[in-house]
Amino acid sequence: MEIVRQIAWLLWKDLLLETRRRESLLAMFFFGTLLLFVFHFAIEIPPDRAAEMAPGLLSLAFVFTGTLGLTQLFQAERENHCLEALLLCPMDRGALYLAKLLFNFLLMLLIESVVFPLFWILFNLSSWGRLPHLLGVTLLGTIGFCALGTLFSAATLRARARELLLPLVLLPLMIPVLLATIRGMEIVLRGGESYELLPWLRLLIGFDVIFTTVGFLIFEWVVEA
Amino acid sequence: MRVVVCELSKAYGFLWALRDLSLEFRPGECVALLGPNGAGKTTFLKLLAALLYPTTGEIELDGEKLRQGSSHLRSSIGFLSPNQHLYENLTAEENLRFFNSLYGKGKNSAEMKRALDAVGLGRWTDDAVGALSSGMKCRLAIAKWLVVEPKLLLLDEPYGVLDGSGVDLLETYLKKLCHSGGIAVMATHHVSRALALCSRALILHQGRLIFDEPRQEPWENLQRAFGEFLPRGERWRS
Repeated sequence: MEIVRQIAWLLWKDLLLETRRRESLLAMFFFGTLLLFVFHFAIEIPPDRAAEMAPGLLSLAFVFTGTLGLTQLFQAERENHCLEALLLCPMDRGALYLAKLLFNFLLMLLIESVVFPLFWILFNLSSWGRLPHLLGVTLLGTIGFCALGTLFSAATLRARARELLLPLVLLPLMIPVLLATIRGMEIVLRGGESYELLPWLRLLIGFDVIFTTVGFLIFEWVVEA
Repeated sequence: MRVVVCELSKAYGFLWALRDLSLEFRPGECVALLGPNGAGKTTFLKLLAALLYPTTGEIELDGEKLRQGSSHLRSSIGFLSPNQHLYENLTAEENLRFFNSLYGKGKNSAEMKRALDAVGLGRWTDDAVGALSSGMKCRLAIAKWLVVEPKLLLLDEPYGVLDGSGVDLLETYLKKLCHSGGIAVMATHHVSRALALCSRALILHQGRLIFDEPRQEPWENLQRAFGEFLPRGERWRS
């Protein structure tokens, strides 16, 4: 499978660059934890209202942190016109999209693995047993965020003031995945029934599948425009 | 490899960078692409490299149209650009390994080491590209194409940052490439150097091809056609 090999090499390159530069990961980590501390000092969550409030705050932290990561996603390709070098290569543009999506997803997973427990500790939430289910819902939301975010990060690559433009374009389109993630998390946190959760999970899976496929198919036109 | 360019035009908005370019490159040709600034040289090279797509017209490589999605044709195209196209935070060897893999060439470490030695970078294998000088980066870019072995090599101002031995190295590589049936198309303002090397000259002016001749002795037509575009201080005699 040629495409899998190409994705693996592109991912290897991005991970190697990130371990050397540590720009995206450190910035995202500090921004994510900073947001949590701001929320902690600004908002007091009573234990009986945690299920209502926590999902919104957590999602907000992930979206802001993730958007910060997206603005840096193609930074290495902007230096020395390396995007041109990749476009010269005899590979499917979809491979580049999937590699960037995977890299972005891995970064988000790392951030979430720190932010989630920290949120629980800071807000003194007791329902640790529900954490794995909550992570499952968040995982689906994260895939959707990365699928759409990677596509728009590439689309705004040559735009002036892309750091401003990217969230303005991305966030309205992200509403379905945000809504489904927040509602799903809320149902898990208050210990709701699985039939309540199912429609939101379906929406998340549908969003993930549709936007990953669309991104893979149209990335060539987006990145070469 | 045979490259056929048919009525090629490229517009950026309302500005035509290239108009109705038709020509053919045959195996073994080394072509000097000359012209003043803004003549459309880089646009032409980028169209040949499929980094840009024509507004009208088409390019054929070995009878196959070069279009968006024809990624398999790209394996035979190389582009030596002044932007170098290298990752600053990867080492010289890692850059070669990465591009070698994306081009599916399957060269091993020893072959990459040989390519680095050939361009005089054997001692800097494990150094980050960001720490290398511009000339060394250009040498590394040459090593990349030594590894990838394209049949059509496009060069945009390759002489800019190279020192004397670097220029010799590049010219030896180009001669070898053309001798083995490859094609080199070089856009440059170093007219005398390019003409000493190339077997054919093209002159672009305001997006149009105004001169296309194989090498001749003496080359009076070129003298007439190009005289007014020669950079100050540069003399050229056929």
